[in-house]
Amino acid sequence: MSTTKNNLLTPDKALKKRYRAEKRFQRMGIFAIFISLCFIVFLFTTIITDGYTAFTQTYIELDVHFDKKYFMEENLANANFPSLVKHSLYAMFPQVKSRRDKKMLKKLISPAAAYTLQQMVKDDPKIIGSSKKIWVLADDDVDMMIKGKINRNLNNQNRRIKDLQLAWIDTLIKEGKLEKRFNTQFFTSGDSREPELAGILGALAGSFFTLLITLSLSFPIGVATAVYLEEFAPANKWTDLIEVNINNLAAVPSIIFGLLGLAIFINFWGIPRSTPLIGGIVLALMTLPTIIIAGRASLKSIPPSIREAALGVGASKMQTVFHHVLPLAMPGMLTGTIIGMAQALGETAPLLMIGMVAFIADVPASLTDPAAVLPVQIYLWADSPERAFTEKTSAAIMILLAFLISMNSLSVYLRKKFEIKW
Amino acid sequence: MKIKAICAAGALALIMSSPAMAARHYISIVGSSTVYPFATVVAEQFGKTSGFKTPKIESTGSGGGFKLFCGGVGVKFPDISNASRAIKASEMKKCAANGVKEIVEVKIGYDGIVLANAKSGAPLKLSRRDIFLALAKQVPNPAKPGELIDNPYKTWKEVNPSLPNTPIEVLGPPPTSGTRDAFVELAMEKGAKTFDFIKAMKKKDKKTYKKICHTVREDGAYIEAGENDNLIVQKLQANPKSIGIFGFSYLEQNSDVIQGSLIEGKAPTFEAIASGDYPVSRPLFFYVKKAHVDVIPGMKEYLDEFTSEKAWGNDGYLADKGMIPMPNAERSQYKADVKALKTMEMK
Amino acid sequence: MYPYILPCIVILSVAFYLLGARRANSIAVFYGGTKNLHSLPSHYGLYSAICCALPPILVFVLWRIFEETFITSSLSQSLPQEYLTLSANELTLVYNEIKNVALGGFGANSSNQVIKDAATLYLANLHSARNLVCALIVVLGIIPPLFALKHISKDLRARNIVENIGMAVLIACSAVAILTTVGIVLSVIFEALHFFKAVPVSDFLFGLKWSPQVAMRADQAGSSGAFGAVPVFLGTFLIASIAMSVAIPIGLLSAIYLSEYATNRTRTLVKPILEILAGIPTVVYGFFAALTVAPLIRDIGTALGCSVSSESALAAGLVMGIMIIPFVSSLSDDVIHAVPQTMRDGSLALGATHFETIRNVIIPAALPGIVGSILLAISRALGETMIVVMAAGLSANLTFNPLTAVTTVTVQIVTLLVGDQEFDSPKTLAAFALGLLLFIFTLILNIIALKIVRRYREQYE
Repeated sequence: MSTTKNNLLTPDKALKKRYRAEKRFQRMGIFAIFISLCFIVFLFTTIITDGYTAFTQTYIELDVHFDKKYFMEENLANANFPSLVKHSLYAMFPQVKSRRDKKMLKKLISPAAAYTLQQMVKDDPKIIGSSKKIWVLADDDVDMMIKGKINRNLNNQNRRIKDLQLAWIDTLIKEGKLEKRFNTQFFTSGDSREPELAGILGALAGSFFTLLITLSLSFPIGVATAVYLEEFAPANKWTDLIEVNINNLAAVPSIIFGLLGLAIFINFWGIPRSTPLIGGIVLALMTLPTIIIAGRASLKSIPPSIREAALGVGASKMQTVFHHVLPLAMPGMLTGTIIGMAQALGETAPLLMIGMVAFIADVPASLTDPAAVLPVQIYLWADSPERAFTEKTSAAIMILLAFLISMNSLSVYLRKKFEIKW
Repeated sequence: MKIKAICAAGALALIMSSPAMAARHYISIVGSSTVYPFATVVAEQFGKTSGFKTPKIESTGSGGGFKLFCGGVGVKFPDISNASRAIKASEMKKCAANGVKEIVEVKIGYDGIVLANAKSGAPLKLSRRDIFLALAKQVPNPAKPGELIDNPYKTWKEVNPSLPNTPIEVLGPPPTSGTRDAFVELAMEKGAKTFDFIKAMKKKDKKTYKKICHTVREDGAYIEAGENDNLIVQKLQANPKSIGIFGFSYLEQNSDVIQGSLIEGKAPTFEAIASGDYPVSRPLFFYVKKAHVDVIPGMKEYLDEFTSEKAWGNDGYLADKGMIPMPNAERSQYKADVKALKTMEMK
Repeated sequence: MYPYILPCIVILSVAFYLLGARRANSIAVFYGGTKNLHSLPSHYGLYSAICCALPPILVFVLWRIFEETFITSSLSQSLPQEYLTLSANELTLVYNEIKNVALGGFGANSSNQVIKDAATLYLANLHSARNLVCALIVVLGIIPPLFALKHISKDLRARNIVENIGMAVLIACSAVAILTTVGIVLSVIFEALHFFKAVPVSDFLFGLKWSPQVAMRADQAGSSGAFGAVPVFLGTFLIASIAMSVAIPIGLLSAIYLSEYATNRTRTLVKPILEILAGIPTVVYGFFAALTVAPLIRDIGTALGCSVSSESALAAGLVMGIMIIPFVSSLSDDVIHAVPQTMRDGSLALGATHFETIRNVIIPAALPGIVGSILLAISRALGETMIVVMAAGLSANLTFNPLTAVTTVTVQIVTLLVGDQEFDSPKTLAAFALGLLLFIFTLILNIIALKIVRRYREQYE
C-alpha cells in the first residue's frame, strides 16, 4: 500500500511482478467475499420469490342463511356446519345439479369455512335465523390457481382444478366474490393440515418458550463457567479437563445432544416429550459451549490493569471480578449469548430425537404444553403432500430468517455500542 | 451480584415451570410417517369440533413408534401408535413384558405405492417382472435358464425391449422404511414368481427364495432417497429420466408435473387402487392401548371420529387427502371391533 | 398463599439483606466506622439474605420434586383394594385421571365414584400439604436469618462465607460441561454395547460394506445385513473434505482481506453479512442443496459427458462448505488480529509488500490458530445433519468419486432411528454405535485442535 510512495528507483521487473502478486491477492480476497455475498443474495431471492405469495390468501364470499333447521340440537357446536356451507354454496350456483358436479363445487371452499361459521355462531348465537354475507377461505387448490401456481393451460385431466371449477372461479371473480386478502390467519393460528388454515403462531410460541428455557439455563451457567475458568480456575488437570470438554462439546454433532436428551432427560428424569421444557434443556446444553467460549474471549480482552487496580485498592478477587471485570465484559458475553440463541433457534436435528417433530395444532400456552418450533415446522411443511405448503414453507423460512437476522443485528449493534478499545 | 440475581431468577423460573403438576389432557400419538398425514387430518378435525385438545402426533417411523408405545402403560407413554405395517409378534411380546397387554388393532385403509416419473418423460408401462428384473440384486441369467447372476441391466430397454432406452435410475425409500418393505413384497416378489424356478424354490428353500425376491440391487441404479417424498417428486422433475417410488397422495397432489407408471397395464388411480386392480398397495394401521381409553380425555371420541364414515368412508375427508378406503364390509367390521375395543390375540 | 411463595421468599431475602446491612452499620458505629469491620456491610447483608433464601428454596425444590409422589401415595391408602394390585405404571394412569378430574382438564369427567372421591381427596390433600409447605418455608425464611442477624459481629468473616458460596456455585456451573459429556457417553454407550454383542467390534470398525438391510420381519430374508462402518465414515469424510475445500479458501481469503485490506466501513458492513451464513437454519440449506444445487451439478455433468448421481456428494459438500465459511473466517479473523502489529510493521519496514507480509509473516505466525479453527470447522462439517439428510443419499458407496452418491454418519443415525423397522434390531442399535464413534472422532479432532491452539498461544503471550 505505502510501498509506492517513496520509490526512488524505476520499478524493475521483479518489483512489478511483486505488485502484480499483491493486486492478484487482493482481487482473490474480494472474489471470495463476492462469492459468499452472491450466495446470500441468491438464497434470499429464491426464498422470497417462492414465499411472498403465502402472505395473501384467497377468500370467497358466501351468502349464508343460518337456517334454524341446522340448529335443532341443544349443543350448538354439534350443528352440521359443513352442510350449512355446502348448501350456501349450492344456492349460489343453482344450475349445478348432478351429484358429481356438486362434489366438485364443494371443493372450491376450504373445510375451514365450517370452523369460521361455528365460531360466529358461538360468539353470537342470535345470528341464527338471519342471513349474512361472509368471506370464507377458499380451498388451497383454488388459492394456488389464483396465485398462478397451477397452470391453466394444461389439459383438464392433469390439472387439479377442472374446467368446470375454472368456469365457476371465473364467475366468482367477475361477480367480485373472490379476492385475495392479507393472510392474517398465517400469523394467528397454529399448525393445520389444511394449507389455507395453517399458521405459524404455534411454532413461534413454541420457539419462544423453548428459547426462554434455553436462555434462563445457558446464560447464567455459561457466564459462571466462563468466569470460573478465566478468572479463578487453578491451572491443573481438572481445569484442563473442563476446557477440553467445553471445546469438544462445541463441536459435538447436534444430533448427539438429541440422543442425550432422549436417554437422560426423557427416559431417566421423566420430563414429558415434545415440550418446550425438554427442547429448551437440550438446546441449552448445546449452546452452552458457544456462550462459554464467547464469554471467556470477552473476559480475556479486559486488560489486566483493571484487575490490578481493583486488587491494589484492596478488593478481593471475587469483588474485582464481579464489580469491575464482569460489567466490562458483559457486552461481549451478551453478543455470544445472542449468537448462541440464534443457533438454538435454527436447530432441528436434536429435536428429531426428543419428539418435537410433531403435529401440534393448538398454540402452546405454557412450558409443558406440547409444542413445535419454527425450524421443525419448516421441516414438517416441506414434507407435506399438498402443493400449497411449498409457499408456506418458504414463508416460514422468511420469518425464521427475519428473527435470526434481527438477533444477529442486535448482537452487532451491542458489540459496536459497547466495544471498548483498550 | 447482578449475575447471581440472574442465576437465581433463571433457576427459579425453571422450578416454577417444573412439570410435576401438569396432568396430561391430550392424546399422545406416535408412529409412521406414512400414516402421519392422515392421522393429523383426523386429529385436527377432532380438535376443532369436539372441544377436546387436539391430539399430539409425532412422526417417528413405525419402529420408533412401537418402541415408545410398548414402553409401558402410563401417562408418559403414548396412547396410540400409527404404523405402516402390522405389529410384529416379537414387538407384542415386548409390549406384554412392559405391561401393555391389551392392544386394539385398527386398520384404517390403504396406501397405494406408485412408480412415477416427470411429465416431460414418456410414461412407462411396466410389469412386475420388469420391476423385479430392473431392481433385484440377482436376476436369472438370460443366457442360462435356472441360474442367477448379478443384475447386469443398465437400461430399461435391456430389461424389456418395449421399454425406452433410458438408464435405470430409481429413487426409492431406504431399507428402514415400511414403504420399501411393502414395495419389495408386492412388486418384486410377485415379479420374481413369474420365473418358474424361483417360484419352485419357495417350497424348497424359503430363505433363499426370500433373499432373491427381496434384495434390492446396491450398485447405484436404485438410489435410496430418504423418506421425504416431496423431495423425491422435485428430484424427478429435475431429472426426467429417473423414476421415483412413493405414496399415492404425493402423485395425486402433483399430477400436473409427474405421472404414474402403469403396472400390469393399470394406472395408479384412486379407483384402481381402491378396487384392488392396481396391484401395489399396502394397509395402514393404528394401535390403541386399551388401558388408556377410559383414562385419557377424548380417546373414545377420537376413535369414533377416525372410524366415522365422514373420515374414512368412500367420500370421507381422508380419501380427499389420498388415503384409499377399505371396502364397506371391512370398514364396518373394524368399526365394530373398535367400538367393542376388541383386543389382539397374543401370537 | 402457595402461588405467591416465591415472591415471598424474594421479599424476605431483600428485607433481611437490608436488615443485615443495617445491623452491620450500627455495629460499625460502635467500633468507629465500617473500616473496622471484617467485611463490608453489604457482605453482612448478603450473608443474612443467603441464610434467608437458601433453606426455603431448598425446601421448595425438594417439594416440587417430591410433591407428586407424596400426594399420590397419600391417595393410594384411600383407594379401594382392587386398585392397589395394579402395577406402578398402571397406577400412574389412575392418578392421571384423578388429576384430570381434580384440576378440571379438558373434558375430563369420570362417572366412576371412586375416582370422583379420590379427586376431591386429592384436592384436599394438595391444599393442606401446600399450606403446610408454605408455613414451613416461611418459618425457614425467618428463623435462620434471625440467628444470622444475631450472629453478625465485628469479627464475623461474612465476606469469606459469601465468597465461598459464590465460588461453589461457579464450580458447580463449570461442572455442567463435564456432566454433559458424561451424559452423552452414558446415553449412547449401553445401546452401542448391545449392538456390539450382535455385531463384532472389528466388523463394525473395519468392515468395508454397510448395508443395514437385515430382515424387517421374522418371515423375511434381508440381504447381507453388513455393518461395516468404513464406507459410512468415508462418505462423511468425502463430503466434509469437499466442504472444507470450499470453506477454507473462501473463508481464509475473506478473513485476510477483511482484516488486512478492507476499510473499516467495508469491514463493519461485510462481516455481519457473512455471519448470516452461519445463522441460516440448516434445513434451509438442505432444501437448497437438494433442489437447486444438485440438479445444477447433474446438468453440468451431463453436459460434460460424465454421469453424475442426482444426490452427488459434491452438491451436499458445496452447500455445506458455504455454511461453514463463517466458522473459518471469523475464527481466523480473530487469530490474524491477534498477531502483534509490530511483526507487520517490521516486515513492511523491510520493504515487503503487503501480500508478502501476509504470506511470509502473518500466516506463519497465525498458522496454529488457523489450523485450530479449521479443525473445529471440520468437526462441524462431520456432525452436520440436515443438509446431508436432505441432499446426500443413503447408499453407502466405498468411493472417493465426488460425483457419486455417498452417505454420512448423521444421515444413517437419523434414518436408522426414525425408520419403520423393529426397534431393537441391530439396525436401530447401530445408530448408537455410529453416534459413539462420531463422538470419539470429534473428541480426538478437538484435542488435537486444542493442543495446536495452546502452543500458539504460548508463543505470543
